[in-house]
Amino acid sequence: MKNLRNAFLPLLSIGMFAFSIYHLLFAAEKLPKTSPPVAPPRRAFVTAISGAGLIEARAENVALGTPVAGIVLEVCVTNEQLGSRVTAGTPLFRVDDRHLRSQLQILEANLILAESQFERIEQMPRPEELPASEAKVKAAEANRIRLKDLLDRGEQLLGKKVMSEEEFLSRRFTYIEADQQWEQAVAEDALLKAGSWRPDKTVSRATVEVAKANATNMRNEIQRCLVRAPVDGQILKIDVRPGEYVDTTASRALVLLGDLDRLRIRVDIDERDIPRFQPTGRATATVRGSSGGSPLQLQFVRIEPYVIPKKAFTGDNTERIDTRVLQVLYEIAAEQTNIYVGQQVDVSIECEPAKSDEPIEARPVVE
Amino acid sequence: MNWLALRMLTGDRSKYLSLILSITFATLLMTQQVSIFMGIVTRSASQILDVRDADLWIMDNKVRYADEAPYLRSNDLQRVRGVPGVEWAVRFHKSNMTARLEDGNFRNAIMLGIDDATLIGAPHSMVEGELADLNLPHAVFVDKSGYEYLWPNEPFQLDREFHVNDRRVVLKGICKASAPFTTLPVLYCRFTEIEQLLPANRNVMNFILAKPTAGSDPQEVCQAIEQNCGLMALTQDGFFWKTIEYFMVSTGIPINFGITISLGFIVGAAVAGQTFYLFTLENLKQFGALKAMGVTNQRLIGMILLQASVVSGIGYGLGMGITSLFFTFTNRLAPMAGIHMTSIAATGVGLAVLIIILLTSLFSLRKVLFLEPAVVFRG
Repeated sequence: MKNLRNAFLPLLSIGMFAFSIYHLLFAAEKLPKTSPPVAPPRRAFVTAISGAGLIEARAENVALGTPVAGIVLEVCVTNEQLGSRVTAGTPLFRVDDRHLRSQLQILEANLILAESQFERIEQMPRPEELPASEAKVKAAEANRIRLKDLLDRGEQLLGKKVMSEEEFLSRRFTYIEADQQWEQAVAEDALLKAGSWRPDKTVSRATVEVAKANATNMRNEIQRCLVRAPVDGQILKIDVRPGEYVDTTASRALVLLGDLDRLRIRVDIDERDIPRFQPTGRATATVRGSSGGSPLQLQFVRIEPYVIPKKAFTGDNTERIDTRVLQVLYEIAAEQTNIYVGQQVDVSIECEPAKSDEPIEARPVVE
Repeated sequence: MNWLALRMLTGDRSKYLSLILSITFATLLMTQQVSIFMGIVTRSASQILDVRDADLWIMDNKVRYADEAPYLRSNDLQRVRGVPGVEWAVRFHKSNMTARLEDGNFRNAIMLGIDDATLIGAPHSMVEGELADLNLPHAVFVDKSGYEYLWPNEPFQLDREFHVNDRRVVLKGICKASAPFTTLPVLYCRFTEIEQLLPANRNVMNFILAKPTAGSDPQEVCQAIEQNCGLMALTQDGFFWKTIEYFMVSTGIPINFGITISLGFIVGAAVAGQTFYLFTLENLKQFGALKAMGVTNQRLIGMILLQASVVSGIGYGLGMGITSLFFTFTNRLAPMAGIHMTSIAATGVGLAVLIIILLTSLFSLRKVLFLEPAVVFRG
């Protein structure tokens, strides 16, 4: 009994110690390393530079605007046609042109007016007026002959002192008047027969040309209101609806066209990586969020030789710019499904290993 | 003879018990304080340890600890990806933000932003909700104790709406996360959400998480990153210790705990030493008789050391057990979650107890070794 009592404390202590060992082993369980929920884009080559890329259509995305501002009257392509091919010249949407059409009617009427005025001048003299004029000449001539006869007779009578000098002078002046009237009739007849004056005709013809040009101008204005596809391609996005106001500032693309047969990737290469970049290096791209699967093989297309400020695609209205990048274009080698224009990808480009004796780049303390 | 020594020890029950108690108390005090100290300091690096799917942390080269990292340029991510030996690299965000709850109360919170595409750095075990729900618009996750801190005494309820930086977010999951240093709730959301929450900031990426390629030495990869990008790259362990070091050097925590731990040592040593000395004095007659009977000094040293080690062994065992029991129960409380006894505390305190017992035996031995056997016959 006493032995038991003596053994109690040591036994209790051994028990407690065992418990503490258990606590040490299991409470301090170190959390195991895990693998990421979704596989991140991996580097494809031993030495590579990496850049963020944006998928675009071959020959770049064509963001169409409008040449005139106004309310959109109709959109000729529907959302069902998104992704389908359109040829150059296909009507896409029409900006309100009703006022232009009514102006065109006025201008066309003006043209008709000018043309008919020109025609009238051109066709002078009017044939119906000629006999009357000729008759007028003949009548004047007859009158002149009659008065000449009276004058001649008066002269003989004056010689015979049968007629007073006053009466004779009266006959003479009457004859002179009739003679002048005859000359006037002859001249008027000649004027009538000569038709319209040539400078008048030229003025009238010019008026017709002006009216024609005005009408053509208005027709062109009306045509400008109808926006057509400038190139062959697929419709990527329609961001315009009837009734919306559009203007000529390039703030947004109303219709986006692109050639989807081959997709290209525009890669941003950090300016500090440019010395290591080689166009001949192999390149692959990984779509964000794709777990596993082989990366896209890329073919080099060209370098855009102007280094631009990098834009971060935040979706916010204030874009953040932190560095400058060289943009390089690659084409996706194989036909791909499930990849869309505008998608962001991570691109890895093979390059020569950096020389070990390269100086360590100093990082600015304040950006 | 050893049996005699043990009989001598257990013969005086009160001294026997008080000896054990003093050692138990000293052990308890020291292990508990050392463990709590280590636990609390470790908490300052909780968010580092919680990222279990990446090995390397890349940040500005002047960073001192995890809570103080300036934002990097977004292209630095691409540059790190181009460094030889880097298998992959993703962006990561850590900052403090203010959450305003439905009732108008506001609380500071630690906000972690994880890469949208890969969710690297996301919590691994969910209490409520699915990890995939983090992809929902305006979705945030909160850690379990954070939920209890934000909405005390309320059952777990998802789809709560509240505001972070004046922008609406929706609670889509409750997860497990290591407790942070400052008991703040830990919120998780996707990186693009962070960009919405911090619109005024030019950049919002302050860390890059990376993994070295299989077979490469992480340290070499870190050096390569530092050479190529001018950024500081650390392994998870390296960053953990860098953060701990900052807290050790810059806060009063080590001094406070150091004082308590040394008090435990001093009190334990004083009480145990005094009691053991008194115990030896009382048994001086018995030792004298043994000496008179011709027992060698070596034998006597062995006896005293045996007595001391039995007492300290029992006390140490009991102290360790009580500490373990203490942490087993307190582990369920949010303020003490994740704090447990550490093996460093156990071995360190073991050594301290050994020192205490050697010191106390030294005093007693002096008395016994210089004892005249004749003293037995005087009184």
